Amino acid sequence: MLATLAQAVVNGLLIGGVYALVSIGVTLIFGVVKIVNFAQGEFLMIGMYISFFLASSFGIDPLLSLLISMPCLFAVGVLVQHFLIRRVLALGDMPQIFLTFALSLLLINLALLLFTANYRTVQTPYSELTIHIGPLYFAVAKLIAFAIAMLLSGLLWLFLHGTDLGKAMRAAAQNREVAMLMGINPDRVFCVAVGVALALAGAAGSLLMPFYPAYPLVGQIFVLMAFVAVVLGTLGNITGALIASLMMGIAESLGVQFVGADSGLIVVFVMLLLTLALRPNGLFGGWAR
Amino acid sequence: MTQSKVGRPWLWVAALVAVALALPLISSPFALDIFIRVLLFAFIGVAWNLMGGYAKQLSLGHAAFFGLGAYTSTILLIRFGISPWIGMLAGGVVAMLASLPIGALCFRLRGPYFAIATIATAQVLMLLFLKFRDFAWGAEGTTLPNLGDAPLMMQFDSKSAYYYVALALLALGLAITYSIEHSWMGFYLVAVGEDEDAAEAVGVDTTKIKRHIYLISAFLTALAGTFYVEYIYFIDPNTVFSFNISVEAALVSIVGGVGTLWGPVVGTVLLEATSALLQSWFGSGHGGVQLTVYSLILIGVILWRPNGLIGLFSDLYERLALSGSSRAKEAPLDG
Amino acid sequence: MAEALVVRNLSKRFGGLRAVQDLSFAVRDGETIALIGPNGAGKTTSFNLITGYYSPDAGSVFAFGREMVGLRPHEICSHGLARTFQVARPFGKMTVLANVMTGAFLRNRSMEVARSRARDAIEFVGLAAKEHTPARDLTTIDQRRLEMARALTTEPRLLLLDEVMAGLNHAEVDQAVALIGKLSARGLTIVIVEHVMRAIMAVARHIVVLDHGQKIAEGRPKEIITNQEVIRAYLGTGYRHEASGGDARC
Repeated sequence: MLATLAQAVVNGLLIGGVYALVSIGVTLIFGVVKIVNFAQGEFLMIGMYISFFLASSFGIDPLLSLLISMPCLFAVGVLVQHFLIRRVLALGDMPQIFLTFALSLLLINLALLLFTANYRTVQTPYSELTIHIGPLYFAVAKLIAFAIAMLLSGLLWLFLHGTDLGKAMRAAAQNREVAMLMGINPDRVFCVAVGVALALAGAAGSLLMPFYPAYPLVGQIFVLMAFVAVVLGTLGNITGALIASLMMGIAESLGVQFVGADSGLIVVFVMLLLTLALRPNGLFGGWAR
Repeated sequence: MTQSKVGRPWLWVAALVAVALALPLISSPFALDIFIRVLLFAFIGVAWNLMGGYAKQLSLGHAAFFGLGAYTSTILLIRFGISPWIGMLAGGVVAMLASLPIGALCFRLRGPYFAIATIATAQVLMLLFLKFRDFAWGAEGTTLPNLGDAPLMMQFDSKSAYYYVALALLALGLAITYSIEHSWMGFYLVAVGEDEDAAEAVGVDTTKIKRHIYLISAFLTALAGTFYVEYIYFIDPNTVFSFNISVEAALVSIVGGVGTLWGPVVGTVLLEATSALLQSWFGSGHGGVQLTVYSLILIGVILWRPNGLIGLFSDLYERLALSGSSRAKEAPLDG
Repeated sequence: MAEALVVRNLSKRFGGLRAVQDLSFAVRDGETIALIGPNGAGKTTSFNLITGYYSPDAGSVFAFGREMVGLRPHEICSHGLARTFQVARPFGKMTVLANVMTGAFLRNRSMEVARSRARDAIEFVGLAAKEHTPARDLTTIDQRRLEMARALTTEPRLLLLDEVMAGLNHAEVDQAVALIGKLSARGLTIVIVEHVMRAIMAVARHIVVLDHGQKIAEGRPKEIITNQEVIRAYLGTGYRHEASGGDARC
């Protein structure tokens, strides 16, 4: 019984790491650019397809393809910010929400058009591998995904706290006007923020490829988790998003294990509504860290 | 005040009404079906617009009320043999009651939080109804009994009858919107939509206003839900609580013109026309083409005319009708 | 004379910052007083506390004998307190007339009555020519006029004006002072937050000085401008007061 519990927690934790990459992206964009990116999941989807095609055409391992998918999505992020998001920044909630929402719709349907709805999978030598530690099983692919996700999160933290550009981003997140007065170019900072956020989503996609299928709607599921984690962890708070994502992964896993296979979603929504009801500012309150 | 209160606009409206009433006489069943969809979604859009367009409470969960209306009337019909006309009203009341706790939860949230919360509530309802087998048929849903031509049970032999019911619903929605727009409530709604803090400073009870408009919006949306299932003789959670309905409810106003009387109608006509055109060009087989183009259009509208396309039309109208001050058109609320 | 507004031991902190500390002052019915102090002294925060936008950590606010703490801003407005914002917040989409009518609806829901009262207020502030202009197209100064008209239609007995003179030229300041004078003549109790000395001297019978959230002085204008504490607060310790009046801005 305890072993089952522990196993469920472990499984949840590992997938939570992937959720974290997606939710950190959402919260980063919200913290810096102050808009909610409803299309974040689709960039994860793009990352998956990039890795899929690199694997099936050139035999490149998905984990290696990170080196390609991340820069690609960074560039996409810069373009999205510069040409789309920038135009609606001054317009208020409605256009902003609907812009990223429309973008999401566009990307899903383009994927449907170009790649069809078929599931695409990649088999790697370690896709089916598990290792034992005590009574617990660790799926190697998931373990690696978790490890790299944590690594990337750590690198992001270093970037935000250790580099000038990163500090500029945090400054812009806290107070845009003052940041501008200090000579920080908001557009540049926003481009980097969106680029980084999308790169993280793309990374999540590549990390998922060894053990998860790619298909046009795949992003929707992950973005749902991400959103709940972002709200739970407080919009704009990166550490909060990370911790909340891990919690979400565990909660979902426990729900599936002990309540029922189809109850993952309900657990998630209930958590969201409870959070909004009891602590609308999330568990951590405050600005991007 | 401009002189446009008498003369030209009424002529246009009268012409529109005449055309609307005559349409079924000259349409094929296929076309009629499209028109009914247009009327229905315009109506849902009008209901959404009261909250989302005027008061800027961006709900993406209106399907919750659509579904509640649909299920209430269907349960009353199938389990208790009650006429859907009554069921429709009952559904409206249920939706109103639901809007109270949902509003209490969501109105404390601003901007994107609010939207996310509304999405969540609609999804939770869908999930609940997917599980409820006992009195709501669960995931498979149910077909509605075919009672032949039974006007008292909201079932008609001729499609035209459904058309006129949908038209009446839309007319109701527009009438309510018009009377609100021209009363203190309309001013208060726009004030809340523009700046809640400033509204409070001049004595507007923002919480009460939001609660009231939510009641109205939920009620109307629920009516649409009942009509829809009566029209298609089928109900299941995935259909009536569908996120697509929530999206379309908001979309038609955004494309057509938020916070305006005719915006939702304009938006629905445009979107449905586009949709129909795309279907005839590409067929519904090519998964994704239709929505791809749809979303490109949407992005275009958002970038180019974020307040909706109705501004375009009123400018056009001015140039054609050569009427008075254009300012009056741009400020939808003019004393 | 009865007291229109009594603020007692009002305190508010934001995290580590004590924005307002133990503030107490009173305003007599029909009087016009000024709340002054360097930037960041807590003046706007005090307004926000009085009008219900922030809830105080401690203290009370009595207006016309009624406790205002705990009430929502719209309730406070209905009890007769109106305010303007430091940065004008018009309902951009609406015309000037519609904006002001929104205020008028508080006291009477009829469209005709609201329209007529709105027109009176618009006339009073000098915006009659721009009745049908959308508020977002107004100049900043006209937006301030609009905000005042809008506040007036709620039929306040106490009016809180937050830096309405900021950025006005000499003639405009005169106009604003005249407006305030007319309102005072109607019996309105007025509290202004201001930096423009000339205006303060012209309208205020009593001045309350804040610095770092605390009241450091209060009294007649003539006493205040020679008060060493006040001078130190504005100018630092290196200065001493020489002459008085003129167009000096604090």
